[in-house]
Amino acid sequence: MASFGRFVAKRILQGVGVIFGVITVLFVLRYVTPGSPVDFIAPLDASQATRQRIAESLGLNEPLYVQYFDYVVSLVQGDMGYSYRSGTAVRPRVFAKLPATLELAVAATLVAVALSIPLGVISATRRHSLPDYVATVFSLLGISTPNFWLGVMLVVLFAVQFNVFPTSSRPVGLLDALGHLVVISGPEQGWALPLDVDPFLADMENWLAHIVLPAITLGTYFTALITRLTRSGMLDQLGQGYVRAARAKGLPETLVTYRHALRNTLIPVITVVGLQLGTLIGGAVITEAVFDWPGLGTLVIDAINNRDWPLIQGCLVVIGAGFVIVNVVVDTLYAKLNPQVMD
Amino acid sequence: MERRKFLTLAGTAAGTAALAGCSSGDGTPTDGGGDTATDTEEPTATERPEPETREGYLQRANLVLNEEAPWIFLNRQYSVYGKSTDIAWQARRDERIDAYAIEPQGSKSSVTITQSQLDSGLDPHDHRETPTDNIVLQAYEGLLSRDREGRVTNQLATGYERVEAGQVRFQLRSGVSFHSGDSLTKQDVAFSINRIVQSDVGGLESPQSDQLAGVTGAEPADGDSAVVVSSDGINPIVFALFASYCDVMNRSWVESNDTAYINSHMNGTGPFMLDNYEQDVEISYESYDDYYMDAAPADSLTIQAAGEASTRVNQLLSGETDLIVNVPPQNISQVQNSEDSEISAVPSTRIIYNAMIYNREPFDSPQFRQAMNYAIDLESIISNVLSGFADQTGQPTLEGFVGHNGDVDPYPYDVEEAERLVEESGYAGAEIELHTPNGRYLKDLEIAQAVVGYIDELENVSAEVQQRDFGNLAGELLDGDLSTSPAFYLIGWGNATFDASQTIIPLLTSDGALTSYSNDRVDELMNEAQSMGGEN
Repeated sequence: MASFGRFVAKRILQGVGVIFGVITVLFVLRYVTPGSPVDFIAPLDASQATRQRIAESLGLNEPLYVQYFDYVVSLVQGDMGYSYRSGTAVRPRVFAKLPATLELAVAATLVAVALSIPLGVISATRRHSLPDYVATVFSLLGISTPNFWLGVMLVVLFAVQFNVFPTSSRPVGLLDALGHLVVISGPEQGWALPLDVDPFLADMENWLAHIVLPAITLGTYFTALITRLTRSGMLDQLGQGYVRAARAKGLPETLVTYRHALRNTLIPVITVVGLQLGTLIGGAVITEAVFDWPGLGTLVIDAINNRDWPLIQGCLVVIGAGFVIVNVVVDTLYAKLNPQVMD
Repeated sequence: MERRKFLTLAGTAAGTAALAGCSSGDGTPTDGGGDTATDTEEPTATERPEPETREGYLQRANLVLNEEAPWIFLNRQYSVYGKSTDIAWQARRDERIDAYAIEPQGSKSSVTITQSQLDSGLDPHDHRETPTDNIVLQAYEGLLSRDREGRVTNQLATGYERVEAGQVRFQLRSGVSFHSGDSLTKQDVAFSINRIVQSDVGGLESPQSDQLAGVTGAEPADGDSAVVVSSDGINPIVFALFASYCDVMNRSWVESNDTAYINSHMNGTGPFMLDNYEQDVEISYESYDDYYMDAAPADSLTIQAAGEASTRVNQLLSGETDLIVNVPPQNISQVQNSEDSEISAVPSTRIIYNAMIYNREPFDSPQFRQAMNYAIDLESIISNVLSGFADQTGQPTLEGFVGHNGDVDPYPYDVEEAERLVEESGYAGAEIELHTPNGRYLKDLEIAQAVVGYIDELENVSAEVQQRDFGNLAGELLDGDLSTSPAFYLIGWGNATFDASQTIIPLLTSDGALTSYSNDRVDELMNEAQSMGGEN
């Protein structure tokens, strides 16, 4: 067990190293990227004197290595600096976007898992039959459909044409909706229990209506991927000796398929789902843009367009940290399931 | 001469097809232009008598610039909005949206606007771009303002006059109160002006200080409810500056709050007061009951943003928003074909041009530069690339601006003349490269590709497009060193003062911040113009 603890600690340390690496690479990029942030803040006709004053007020006159060390030191203290464009603190802005991004990533994953695992199982158990071909074609389509196209098509069809779902934005967050269910009275009020059920339902409905299309858009590629993975894993497992033994024992086929073969198939699937979730945290940029979903992706694109380096750094550090955390969790789970990897 | 006249007709036809209401100036006589312009080799402008008014000098400068062709004169950009039929509203010329002018129809009482970007903080003195302007101007007001057509009107001032050279006086409106309840005082106004132009006032290094160029300070007048503003020199356009910039803030409110607070709250005198500010998500306002004029027709207002044009269009079509900005040409018919939405377009204050740096080969030859103007079919670029939503230009100053020369026409499309002028310039066989940003201005890359396509068709010039990151390009243009700039680039320029000087001085005089050109005659004309008091 001690070795397990050491394994986890090692992974966490590596993760910190990765984030440090991300920051270093960012500063190198910043060094080689042409165009000063001042050009984006000052109007085009600003005088050299105005430019100089702005540069000074942002600390851009310091050598880059000084800016680098200042940044690392304040980051360790939890300070991500101030946006060049708006002068506001970066950390609250980035963390304000995190719930939207996480919601979308998790919703997309749920859509993907709910669709792909049954599809994969069906197509493996009925290999070379019509359902298998349908599932294969579906997953091929899913893999080859570009996100932005699918998103726009879904909006045109379901929002503009049929008016079933809203086109875009996220007027209410999941946490806000859930907030109605949390006890809002203190001990003085007598801890009255679940309170505003009606606003909760209204907000939930609103939230669900807004997240459906982006989640389907983002989840489709992913659905296709997991379907393929489940299918091949299932085929592999169904050919194993223990499956034959189970069948010989006279277990019903459903039990053999779902209880035994599927369980073993899921080990690599879980790893991929976990890693993919990490990618979704930073990789939903296009979907966020199409649906005007106020997540980290939209923020980082805006920040890049404005050369707002503190904001870019803040976003990427958080995305990097998200990726590292998911990886550490997946690795840890894996080590639990299969202790051989610890060596 | 005939060719130019012909093109005016063609150009006007294209313009009216796109939209009605391209009003021309205010009927002031323009400086004579075409009578001697057949032979463009001679600087003919000098043979005419010197102008007598400021506007005359500006018009003369535009004439000289048309003949010298420091740019390929391209299009005047339009602001193209999509609006729901649930609201009555007409687009303004200065790219701003004044929600006070939006009238919800029927039982509707709230209005939603979708821009492309949200604010960079709510401090009205600490930004300088249109998305933030639009968010701030609903709650804050300046001394003067502009109507839809760009004419200067009174806002918090009831009158203004030039007291002497370098001093102007604004009479203040009475009965105005801030959203916090405090009454507007002359001290507030003087403080607001000083906060922009003096870096030690109000805890701010304002990026608008260049917009109030020449203004040195302000102080409350003795006794009277008025403010006296001083500037160095005569500053002929001081009133035009105050009509576009310098929102008035409450002095005690600014002094008792920190930067973060001022950037997330608003306390102005305008028709809407801030209701809720969610940074990067949306801003909501409600109508200010104690406004000194009629309350706004809309009870509440929400401003949100979507960076993708197609997302904005879809929001409009499904009725989720009432007004969207920047409808790209490919989406215009979609908006027009819907029963619930329509297009509202207006010529903006932005001109798109290709600068040709005057001291770099082959652009050091005026003939070569003129040839480039003859080489392109601007009318066709406007109808094909921009779906007709743009006007042709032939001088740096836009129609309706002080100093626009009504006798100067856009260059006609004439391949033979272009090839002849290239031969004459001695640069036959030249290879040139047009640097352009991609996505900074409406269809910038497509315009550049079309321009280069036409130039490349000339027998004696070949041309290519070089796509550039805007920040990178801007860095080269703004470093104050012409030799690091590309010799030939596409860029756009917005001028909200409606005055020729704010285009020609920064872009086309020897010391301009973003200049590509130097010509003693133009410098001299602009100096003359700036030393005379103008009408506004």
